[in-house]
Amino acid sequence: MPAIAEAGSVRAVTPPATPHSFGTLALRWYRLNQSRLRATAIGLISLLAFLLVWHLLTTYRVVFFVRFTNVPSPLAVYASFTQAMHDPKFLMHILLSCRRIFIGFSLAAIIGVPLGLIMGRFKLVHEVIFPVAEVLRPIPAIAWVPMAIMLWPTNEQSIVFITFLGSFFPILVNTLHGISLVDPVLVRAAQCLGARERSIFREVYFPASLPHIFTGLTVGMGVAWVSLIAAEMISGQYGIGYFTWEAYSLVQYADIALGMIAIGVLGLGSSLLIRGAGQLVMPWRST
Amino acid sequence: MSEMLANTSKGHIEVKNFSLDYETIEGSVQAVTDTQIHVKPGEFVSIVGPSGCGKSTLLNAVAGFLKPTTGIVTVDGERVNGPSAERGMVFQQYSLFPWKTVRENVEFGLKMRGMPRSQRERAARTLLGLAGLEAFEKHYPERLSGGMKQRVGIVRALATGPKVLLLDEPFGALDAQTRVIMQQILTNMWQRLKISVLFVTHDIDEAIFLSDRVYCMTARPGSIKAEIPIPLERPRQQSMMMSSEFLALRRGLMSLIREESLKAMGGEINDMGMQGLNIELHGHSLADVI
Repeated sequence: MPAIAEAGSVRAVTPPATPHSFGTLALRWYRLNQSRLRATAIGLISLLAFLLVWHLLTTYRVVFFVRFTNVPSPLAVYASFTQAMHDPKFLMHILLSCRRIFIGFSLAAIIGVPLGLIMGRFKLVHEVIFPVAEVLRPIPAIAWVPMAIMLWPTNEQSIVFITFLGSFFPILVNTLHGISLVDPVLVRAAQCLGARERSIFREVYFPASLPHIFTGLTVGMGVAWVSLIAAEMISGQYGIGYFTWEAYSLVQYADIALGMIAIGVLGLGSSLLIRGAGQLVMPWRST
Repeated sequence: MSEMLANTSKGHIEVKNFSLDYETIEGSVQAVTDTQIHVKPGEFVSIVGPSGCGKSTLLNAVAGFLKPTTGIVTVDGERVNGPSAERGMVFQQYSLFPWKTVRENVEFGLKMRGMPRSQRERAARTLLGLAGLEAFEKHYPERLSGGMKQRVGIVRALATGPKVLLLDEPFGALDAQTRVIMQQILTNMWQRLKISVLFVTHDIDEAIFLSDRVYCMTARPGSIKAEIPIPLERPRQQSMMMSSEFLALRRGLMSLIREESLKAMGGEINDMGMQGLNIELHGHSLADVI
């Protein structure tokens, strides 16, 4: 009976259904997406403006506090980009960096998320691990480089270790934060529907923490790239960070900018991947 | 359907010599003291009282979330030792699982019981149909109106066929019109299922309209001040709320509660006055202040 009442009132507001022509549909679509279209258009213009300013500063070799004398122009970077696309070595640098990120970040997620959940639910585990984590957390991953080289037999392993460390703490801390914010009323609701501790963990604590877990994964991925590039610049033989540093040593100025842009694109791509995964795992969050 | 839900002649709630204290830094505070209530099988009983009187505390103890300091809570002679699916609960904040669809929310209790998926899906659909929500089974709660959310909340609590239904100000967050509709829905479901209901509210009209009996509580520490039978015949219509019988009951309950509210607020006002004086006098003599 109330459903009928509510449905009735909805029907009264909606205009009577008439067949829409393509034109009116397109217009409606435009109106609904107006602000998004606007943002995209302005975004494109601002990117083009950035390129233009870069172009002007470098072609006229402006010196005004900072020196653009040796900075490569966008066209020079584009030229070295097309060249690099045919160079298997460049692709190998990128591939290696991606592999290090994948291994280091995955380990951090596989260890960090369950550890955070367990620490959130079992007080003793929290009391034991939390102080150690708090002491180690403020140490930047880069500061671990010498120690990592001592700890691990190969360079590759120490770089992956540093990537792991960079992403581990943000993931752990955000998971802990998420589980501490779970609404106790939801736990009670589950309890008086007959849920026991294990089901409550699986059906309430875990899904309720997911938004914060994904915040942690996003932040962790960012820090993973920061740590990776630093580690590659210091101790690497391959990788996009090494490529960028090597370009400087070899006076290949266009390659410096190419390396930087590649790092930016890879970082953006990996955070988009995480966002996509988040939307898949949390369909209730996407409107 | 009916054999799954109907629990005729079950659901006898008994609360005896009940008191509940909680600990603070200054010592223990009595929330509820010396309270006896009961709900007969199939009866609809409300608890009303001024805010902070401990009516929700009492309900939470029946649900099994709080342990009584003294006294005992039983349902059908069995002592309440913690939350269970035998006592369904509906919360003011709806407390639906945001990550589950409407149907998955309703299925939750059945899933916990280990019912196979296809069976519990069918059961959930039937129940949602009764509440007029079948069209929304795949929606996430966030997208529903308050009234719809609480319908899901009630259906979810009823899905496991509990002996008693406990409701903690379930319609407190709804607007007036929706609230009236929800009261009607709850009454319909209760009459169909013959389930015992313990209903906490601060809305006197709501308590009279819904209940067979109303307990009125005193200000903190809460205890039962009066027990008022509601002899209005059923089925009850909205128009009854204008009848002289209804209005007489309302007047009676109103004056009981006003007394207690004033008592509760009087305490607060005095406390505040004292604090104000202390602050003003701090470092000064009384003459300085005047």
